[in-house]
Amino acid sequence: MLSELLQGIESGGFLIIRDSCRYSGRDLLKSFITAALNREEVIHILCFDVSEEELKDGLKPSDTQRLHIHNAYSDPLGWTGHPNFTVQQFSLEDLTNLVKQTSQPKPAVLVIDSLSWILRHKTPPAVCQTLQQLRKGGAVRAVIGLLHTDMHQRGTVGSVCHLATSLISVAPGVKGKEAVARVTKRTKSGKVMQDEGIFCIAEDFTVTILSKPSHAEHKTNSTEEEQTDPTANLTFNLRLSDSELEAKQKLTLPFVFSKEKKTALLHPGPGSGRILYEPDAYDDYDQEDPDDDLDV
Amino acid sequence: MFTELNSILNTSPDSFTRGEFILVSDRQSDASFLIHHFLSFYLRARCKVCFLGLAQSFCHYSAVSQRLGVSLTQAKEKGQLVFFEGLKECLSVLTPKENNVESEAMNFLRDPPVGLRSLYEFVRSSVIGSGSMEEGAEQWGPSVLLVDDLSVLLSLGVDVGAVLDFSHYCRALVCSQVQGNMVMLVRCNGEEDDDDDDDDDDDGDVGSDVLLKGLTHQCNLNLHVQGLPTGYCKDIHGQMEVCWKRRQSDAPHMQKNLFQYKVYDKGASFFARGTSSAVL
Repeated sequence: MLSELLQGIESGGFLIIRDSCRYSGRDLLKSFITAALNREEVIHILCFDVSEEELKDGLKPSDTQRLHIHNAYSDPLGWTGHPNFTVQQFSLEDLTNLVKQTSQPKPAVLVIDSLSWILRHKTPPAVCQTLQQLRKGGAVRAVIGLLHTDMHQRGTVGSVCHLATSLISVAPGVKGKEAVARVTKRTKSGKVMQDEGIFCIAEDFTVTILSKPSHAEHKTNSTEEEQTDPTANLTFNLRLSDSELEAKQKLTLPFVFSKEKKTALLHPGPGSGRILYEPDAYDDYDQEDPDDDLDV
Repeated sequence: MFTELNSILNTSPDSFTRGEFILVSDRQSDASFLIHHFLSFYLRARCKVCFLGLAQSFCHYSAVSQRLGVSLTQAKEKGQLVFFEGLKECLSVLTPKENNVESEAMNFLRDPPVGLRSLYEFVRSSVIGSGSMEEGAEQWGPSVLLVDDLSVLLSLGVDVGAVLDFSHYCRALVCSQVQGNMVMLVRCNGEEDDDDDDDDDDDGDVGSDVLLKGLTHQCNLNLHVQGLPTGYCKDIHGQMEVCWKRRQSDAPHMQKNLFQYKVYDKGASFFARGTSSAVL
C-alpha cells in the first residue's frame, strides 16, 4: 500500500507520516515530494524544522519551478522583526493567499514539515480546524504532514491523526538501511485498510519496498525446522530401527517405582534374599510399623 | 581535548564539519567532561567561541581547561572567547545594586513566561556582533556556541517549549546562517520509559525527557552518556552512545556506536565494549 500512496494521493486527501527519535521520517517525506514532482504536480512546502538548503538537498534541481519552499525556519516567531513566514500565519486565509500567490493553474499539494512545530505553538483544536478547512477548501489539492509522535501527548497525536485519510508510521528496521512502515488507509466509504512493509530509500529518494516482515518471519521458521535434523550427516549412526525402538519403549528404568517393582519388593520370590532379625536384649523391637507405609 | 574522541568522531582542530549541531546528553550520569573537551577543541581550532556557562562558575571551567592545556583567561582577553557566566548574571537580576549594569539576558528569571528571547539576542550579538572589530584584532575561525547546560533553564522555571524555541533559533543562526557549530548539554534524571504514558507526578522528569526528544530531532550528532547497565565499576565510568544523523555524504540512515569511557585527571579514554585496560 505504500507504493500506491507514493503514486498519488486522492483529492482532498491528508497524509501524515509519523516518526520518532529512533528513525526520522523526513527521507520518506522527500520521497513523496520527489514522486509528486515527477508527476508534474505543484508543491508548496512550509519549512519549519530544517533549513531550505537541507530540505532541497537531494531533490533534482530541474523541478524547482514547480516547487515552492516557504521558509519558516529562520524566524517562525517573529523575533528578528522581518519574518518570512511565522507560525501564527498558519490559518486558512493566510495559507490560501500564500498558495494563490504563485498563480498556477492546478491546485497544489501542501507539504508541512513539521506539524509538531505548529502543534507546539497553536492549540490542537485550532490546528485541526485549519487542516480540515484546507482539505475541504479547494485551495490545495492534498496535504502531507510530518509529525514527531514522541514530542506530544498521545491525545494530541490521536486527534490530529484522526483527521488523516492515510497514516504511515515509520520505525527503524532490523538491518541498517531498512525501515518498517505501518500504513493505515481510510477510504471515503469508511473502510479502513492496514498494511505493514519493509522499505529502504535510495539516495535519489526512490523507495524500494522489500518483503513484508510478518510473512518473512513465518517463512524462516518453517525452513529452519526442515533444515535442522541433527541425526543427518554424521560419521556414526544415531537413528533407531523399528525393533530397537520397540525394545527402548519396553525398557523400564531402574529408579522408577512402577507397580511391578513394588510387588517384586513386597513379595519376594524364592531365591531372593531374606532378612532374619533376632533382637538383642537392649533393642527396642517394635512390631508396629511407625511409618505405616508397607502395604502388607 | 581528548584525542581518542577526535578519532571516534573523525574530526580534528584542523578539519571539522561546519554547520553541525552536536547534542551531548546524559541520563543519571555526568557528561560535562564532554563540554570541557569541546571547549578546548574549538579554542585550539581558533574558532570564535560563545560559551553560555549556566551550571558552573568561570573559575571552574578555567581550572579544568588549564589541565587540558588551554587558558580561558587568555582567550577572553584576546577576544576569542565570549563567556556568559550565568551564576553571576542571575545574581545581578535578583539583587540589583545601583552600580550594576543589569544584563537583559537573564530577564526570564523575573518573568519566566517571557521566554528566552533576550538570551537569544545576547547570543546573536556575540556571534554576529564580531563583524565590527577593532584594528589589529585577530581573525578567528567560524563561530561556535557552547551551552552548559539547558536543563538548568528548565529548573529555573522556563517552559520546555521556550527552551526548544531558543535552541531552534540558535541553530538557525549559528549552524545555518553563520555556518558555525553548536554544542549543547542536556541532562535527564528519570528512567528511560518506552511507553507513551505521561507521568503526572514527575513533571520535572517528563519535561527534560520531552526536551531531550525535541533536541534529538534537531541535532546532527548525539553523544548520549549513561552509567553501565550492570552497575558501578571502578575502571569504567560509563558508556557513551554516538549517534550520527543526517550525514549528507553517506546514505540517509542513522548510525549508532557504543563506547565505554574512563575519565582521568587530564583527559578521558574511550574504548569498545569489553576492551577496557582493566579487563584485557
